[in-house]
Amino acid sequence: METQSNQQVGTAVPPAKTEAEKSLSPFQLAMRRFLRNKLAIAGLVVLAFFIIVAAFADIIAPHSPTAHNYYNIEAKASSEHWLGTDSSGRDNFSRLVYGARVSLTIGFFAMLFTVVIGVILGSLAGYYGRWVDGLIMRATDLMMILPFLLLILTIIAIVQSVSITLFITIIAVTAWPNLTRIIRATFLSLREKEYVLGARSIGASDFRIIFKHFLPNAVGPIIVNATLMMATMIILESGLSFIGFGIPQPTPTWGNMITEANSLRILENNWETWVPPGLAILLTVLAINFIGDGLRDAFDPKSNQ
Amino acid sequence: MKFSKFWLMLILSLSLVFVLAACGDDEEASGDTEEDDTATEDDATEDDGEDATEEDDDAEEGDSGEAQQGGTITAGMYSAPGHQFNPLFYSDAYEANILSFTHESLVQLNEELEYEPSLAHDWEINDDFTTITFHLNEGVKWHDGEDFTADDVYFTYATIADPDYVATGGVRTNYVVGLKGYEEYVNGETDVFEGVEVIDDHTVAFHYEEENIKMLFDTSFIIVPAHPFEGMEISEIPDSSASRDAGEVVGTGPYHLSDMIEGEQYVLTAFEDYWQGTPYLDGITWRVIQQSVMPGLLESGELDMIAEPNGVPASDFERVDGLENITTFETQDFGYQYMGFKFHHRTTEDVESGTINPDNWVENEKLSDVRVRQAIVSAINRQGIVDGLLYGLGSVMEAPFPEASWAYDPDAVTEYPYDPDRANELLDEAGYVDVTGDGMREDPDGNEWVLNLDYPTGNEVRERTAPIIADELGEVGINVNLRQPREAGPHFDAIEQDNNDFDLYLAGWSLAVGDPDPAGIWQSTAAYNYTRWNDETSDELIRKAVTAPDAFEQDYRAEVYNDWAAHVSEEVPMVFLYSADNIYAYNSALQNVKELPAGIYQDSHLWYLAQ
Amino acid sequence: MHKYIIRRVLQFIPMLFLVTVLVFGLAKAAPGDVLSGEMLDPNIPHEVLEQRREALGLNDPIHIQYWNWLSAVAQGDLGTSMQYANRPVMDLIQARVMNTVYLAIFSLVVTLAVAIPIGIYSAQRKYSLFDYGATTFAFLGLATPNFFAGLLAIWLLSFQFGWFPAQGTTSAVGLSGFELFVDKLRHLVLPGFTLGLASTAVYMRYMRTEILEIKGSDFIRTAHAKGLTKNSVLYKHTLRNALIPIITLLGFEFGFLLSGAVITEAVFNYPGIGTLFLNSISNRDYPVIMAINLILAVTILLGNLLADIFYAVVDPRIRYD
Repeated sequence: METQSNQQVGTAVPPAKTEAEKSLSPFQLAMRRFLRNKLAIAGLVVLAFFIIVAAFADIIAPHSPTAHNYYNIEAKASSEHWLGTDSSGRDNFSRLVYGARVSLTIGFFAMLFTVVIGVILGSLAGYYGRWVDGLIMRATDLMMILPFLLLILTIIAIVQSVSITLFITIIAVTAWPNLTRIIRATFLSLREKEYVLGARSIGASDFRIIFKHFLPNAVGPIIVNATLMMATMIILESGLSFIGFGIPQPTPTWGNMITEANSLRILENNWETWVPPGLAILLTVLAINFIGDGLRDAFDPKSNQ
Repeated sequence: MKFSKFWLMLILSLSLVFVLAACGDDEEASGDTEEDDTATEDDATEDDGEDATEEDDDAEEGDSGEAQQGGTITAGMYSAPGHQFNPLFYSDAYEANILSFTHESLVQLNEELEYEPSLAHDWEINDDFTTITFHLNEGVKWHDGEDFTADDVYFTYATIADPDYVATGGVRTNYVVGLKGYEEYVNGETDVFEGVEVIDDHTVAFHYEEENIKMLFDTSFIIVPAHPFEGMEISEIPDSSASRDAGEVVGTGPYHLSDMIEGEQYVLTAFEDYWQGTPYLDGITWRVIQQSVMPGLLESGELDMIAEPNGVPASDFERVDGLENITTFETQDFGYQYMGFKFHHRTTEDVESGTINPDNWVENEKLSDVRVRQAIVSAINRQGIVDGLLYGLGSVMEAPFPEASWAYDPDAVTEYPYDPDRANELLDEAGYVDVTGDGMREDPDGNEWVLNLDYPTGNEVRERTAPIIADELGEVGINVNLRQPREAGPHFDAIEQDNNDFDLYLAGWSLAVGDPDPAGIWQSTAAYNYTRWNDETSDELIRKAVTAPDAFEQDYRAEVYNDWAAHVSEEVPMVFLYSADNIYAYNSALQNVKELPAGIYQDSHLWYLAQ
Repeated sequence: MHKYIIRRVLQFIPMLFLVTVLVFGLAKAAPGDVLSGEMLDPNIPHEVLEQRREALGLNDPIHIQYWNWLSAVAQGDLGTSMQYANRPVMDLIQARVMNTVYLAIFSLVVTLAVAIPIGIYSAQRKYSLFDYGATTFAFLGLATPNFFAGLLAIWLLSFQFGWFPAQGTTSAVGLSGFELFVDKLRHLVLPGFTLGLASTAVYMRYMRTEILEIKGSDFIRTAHAKGLTKNSVLYKHTLRNALIPIITLLGFEFGFLLSGAVITEAVFNYPGIGTLFLNSISNRDYPVIMAINLILAVTILLGNLLADIFYAVVDPRIRYD
């Protein structure tokens, strides 16, 4: 549900060049500006940390994230279980570590597929215009008319059982319209530019024009929106878990872990269960948002006055 | 220019609001009625239990231990009722919560799960066991002041037997199918339902086509008044205000539904002319609450009672039990959770035509060796599930009879304690050994042996057991393919339409307390025989237990059920995982609560708040 | 101009048709039906369930079911709920829709009342302590899943401090007038703030960026050059321009609030459209699922149509041909 909001924040316009900066490509310029942004760098560091944790989960986690123990349920923190155990006696710390892997995977791939769909449809619509544009835009209209969350819930009800891959797919097929619109708008603004007309007049293929001339110019808005979208996906996963439509247990996700706190007992007595995944989500999303903000400022110097 | 645009946009966004607002303008009306009536309830709901008693009528005796007049309590349930307050058509446990206080039956269950008088004070059964004659209490009034008579009993049963009953949404035809003349009546061939005979205003007889050993169960349905529905088509009844609206729903019970806020609060007010005497309490307010905050509400006194249908979750028991102002009561649920073995699958044609014919079934050879099934039940730590996931508040069963039932006998059955070594032995013996060296056993022919395990979401504890069971079976070398859970509805569809590759599945039965006859689930031809277990001995014993004339002796039936239970526990057609306790909690100030195996709602007119 | 409006209205009709197909198709693609769950009670004769399916038309061919549904909807009949014992769907929705609308309005008002002043102030005092504080809050607000914020709010503000009720929309039946209003308002506080948390963060940031952007633009420089006072520039020029995009967002925001309410309503057991939808999804109560999807879709569709027409009327810069 926060998707829309985030994407509104992230709606960026294509980069504008000043005379002095012409020697570098817009992308290089943006990167240079990005690296001067302290918050964004801090975000990168935090995100890198979680990615490393996710990558080396097998080494870091002391227990299997799914090993249960009937006689050690909702245990407090101890030297054996650093963050205690959950309602099936599974080790919270190991679940947190493996949860990073699952949650980041979901966030990243859901974002990636959404971007792929969005870029393809947006490019087609923006480049070809006419009936292609009409068709794609009507499709986005139709998708945007049904509230995002209701649509996802309805689709989850259709597929009945959710695995990680399916979950990612469902999100991707529902989340693409926003990005499609943004990319289309960018392309439309580029269509009449001289260099595009020039390229066309010398007989460059559509494919070549899209990849050589359009996409590089749209890369700013794409990256910015993609980053913010990833943050949204991570939050969305936890929200769906909470209402029982997320990835089922025993798969460790941060959302599944926080959902355990849907009880005053856990909330009051077992902070070990819910504070760490809560913080993990908060920090990751915060980090990604900082990066996204940094990228926007970098690609769109106008907003960074 | 800019300015006017600003306002136009504002108007636009507000107009969106009104589009929606227009859909629901008559919603407020229900909140304004009966103001003086609810003024006191209002106070009591906000106070905690002890304070509530201070409002008690001081005209009554001051001694503690004596029943006090007055006060209201607030009870909680986790989901809103579906607003069908007509017992003939209600469908959910939340509606049942309200109906338990507003309506009554001819007979009710006592502590020994035997029927005792309620609206009927006496009954006799004829020598052929085909007729039961009830003598009804006189002076029983409906909430609207009309007298309760035998005509109401006739109306109730004739409605269930009506040709339009099922099409209108009713599902309770099991109460009438055995009655005489049902076929003719349901087919519209006659206007008189022969099965229920009104002898005089306070005498009514039920005639059965054949000898019936479960007559008391079959006549225990909730009685509905005839007069509010007079002249109505059956199809109009569920939508009539007497079935839906607070203040209009009429029963004989100690409380009447006087007011409600949909989805939130359901206010029951004491019925002064209740035939067993005016209730001590002024009323009971049901609130719909989130399960997660329930203990907090009990503690703060905002809630006085939590009972049916889910009660206190086992995980919160310790906390709730530790509350000083709260009394708890646990009783074993009559239902149970199990892991079924798919013995057979039906063919696609049979599934499509809805045929249940054991002769056409296709055997699932993966599970046909009894030693395999015994090994599986031995490899699952069921006591661990009860101790851990249920916090000890449940029981392990070997046969489908709860402890409270007269059919229960722990000595009759073979027990399967958690014993992985035994499981390994049994599997080795049956020829299921690991020939490929991957740690997983192959079948006796050396082929890959994978058991699919399907399970539904919805029941949190059951959901948690699935990965654990897969784990435990893996430890004895059984390769379990744990599949993604489905939602309960589609899961049960898939179990039923079993032309698929299911081997193991998790499910549960919520059973009524009436009679232990297992035929509905266990007879091989029963639609609900989801395991498709086809066992002659079992079928025969089930039939034997209800065959007249011996079956009129409860002891005889108990004995046959023991034999059947022994056979079931030997053959292991399913793994009985656990039977959870129902945990009820109520304010300690609330006195006279009858703690029965079937719940705590009986004789609620005697409840009172102590000082 | 008129041509544009007519064309826009004509586009609306096929869209409406597509929406009905989509809504119906989605609901019917889901396996299982409302009767699946009832099998848990073996006392209900099995044949009865089949008869019920037949009576509900669940065994009819799909296009017939669609046609029956569509023609009923066209006559304003949204059908009857299967789960709630044949209750008209309209009834169910009517009983809850106002709760959700109140929640959405409350949340919207709070969002704007908090976000706009803070956003303005932040922009005026760029890089001050206040600005950093507001920015931090905005980022935290965006990064907190709202069910989690809701749980914390219940625990802290309701149970620890006892300031606000945690559940439902009123504390007792029979309140009226001002008392009822205050009571309802108190019940709105926690869910309202929870629902508005993320949007507040977004609008706050949005407002700040917009104002900074406009402050740098030519016409504001001109205004300053004309010698207008700082305040008069802020209120007359900057603010008005900054608010326009916000108002446009509101149209979208409303639909989003209604769906965001699914999770928030679940946390607070708030009987609105969101909880009804969730419940209907879990129980495969198609008529209700379809009705809610349809009503929201049509509302948003109409909203977009009105927005476009209003825009066409008020903004001469947009050419329509």
